[in-house]
Amino acid sequence: MSLNIRLVVNGTRHRAKIEPALSLLDFLRDTLGYKGVKICCNTGECGACTILFDGKPVNSCVVLAADAAGAELVTVEGLAEGGRLHPVQQAFIDTGAVQCGYCTPGFIISVKALLDRTRNPTAEEIEEAVSGNICRCTGYTKIVDAIQIAARQLQGPTGLTSKARS
Amino acid sequence: MDYFEPKTLREAVSLLARYGEKAKVIAGGTDVLVDMKFKEEPLCLVNIKRIPGMSYIREEKGSLRIGALTPIREIETSPLVREKLPLLWESAHQFASLQIRNTATIGGNVCRASPSGETLAPLLVLEASAIARFSKGEKKLPFTELFLGPGKTLLGAKGLLREIEVPLPSKESRGTYLKHAVRGAMDIAMVGVAVLVTPDGGGKKARDVRIGLGAVAPTPIRAKRAEKALRGKTMARALVEEAARIAASESSPISDQRSSAEYRRWIVETLTRRGLEQSWKAVTGKEVDG
Repeated sequence: MSLNIRLVVNGTRHRAKIEPALSLLDFLRDTLGYKGVKICCNTGECGACTILFDGKPVNSCVVLAADAAGAELVTVEGLAEGGRLHPVQQAFIDTGAVQCGYCTPGFIISVKALLDRTRNPTAEEIEEAVSGNICRCTGYTKIVDAIQIAARQLQGPTGLTSKARS
Repeated sequence: MDYFEPKTLREAVSLLARYGEKAKVIAGGTDVLVDMKFKEEPLCLVNIKRIPGMSYIREEKGSLRIGALTPIREIETSPLVREKLPLLWESAHQFASLQIRNTATIGGNVCRASPSGETLAPLLVLEASAIARFSKGEKKLPFTELFLGPGKTLLGAKGLLREIEVPLPSKESRGTYLKHAVRGAMDIAMVGVAVLVTPDGGGKKARDVRIGLGAVAPTPIRAKRAEKALRGKTMARALVEEAARIAASESSPISDQRSSAEYRRWIVETLTRRGLEQSWKAVTGKEVDG
């Protein structure tokens, strides 16, 4: 038995025929080819497969592809605009918050979701936002640095930055 | 595998009546998908996610009513829950990770009936009820009777959880939920303890005490003998310590990869004592003394 679904990924409309037991992770990677969504634990524990589902971060490995019918999804491939990296991506590069890189797309999405919720996250909010993402290489200090830099970047020249300057 | 997306409760319940044990209900899916990948696919999957009107939190006649499909994150971010049921809020806040809280539902956490299910000890202590739909009609099942064993509830194969009804505790009461795990986030509790204390008018004696224990028996349990030892008594240090020891003796934990049974009993004693002390202080402004 198979299902026909329609959904939007990174602004692009897709239609597909899927098996009902298929996970959203396998659907995104193997059917649609979004390989930036990483497969790792496949049990909802490590955060490597994090995507935005109608604006909220979820582990795509424990969501049914069928549940994405009618949804709008964002993967790491959808963040750069016109060849320019998203400020969160650039900040991860600038601080060296990337080592093997496997966990990075999931982190980037969790941080994007955080900075969509607030441009001025507290230390506690930062910790909460990435507590479901596991990195085994760099340690978390550089990742937290990257998040703070990205937050300042997104606040722009008017926000806290101009106050600090004056 | 047969697959259905019923659009009404009636349709869902009739599918469960037809398929019985062969059917698996899926809501958020954070546990069911893992089972499907690493254990086996059910013969029939009933996805209730598309039934409208099953995700809500509302106050009605002295209770909060929470729809079975309400995501844990909605409970965590609800000002109503934060204000009226801080004990439930605390367990929602400590639940897995943000990603999982966005996906997992409270109904799924209840029906999964894991002894360590994060919201279960708090809901037991709050004396919640499950409102369940069967083909012959609706039943109200108190949480104190709902759980039969790991993964087993009075819902059986044919009942569907529609709503959780949580009576608002007395305004004079305070609760505490304490979880013991190696890592803060994304970790299953070795022990979870929920405590709710209501002092009497004088602020010396406990009018009511409720203690719920998670992950230390085949189901989440109430430590009834420990509660009885404190009810109507002056909250003195020696008595609170004695009640914590009784609570540990009421638990029947197993040894597994997370910890040994003996260690779990020690933790039950410690967390029960702490929960009682913290709740008492929060509500009376005074330490448990003497």
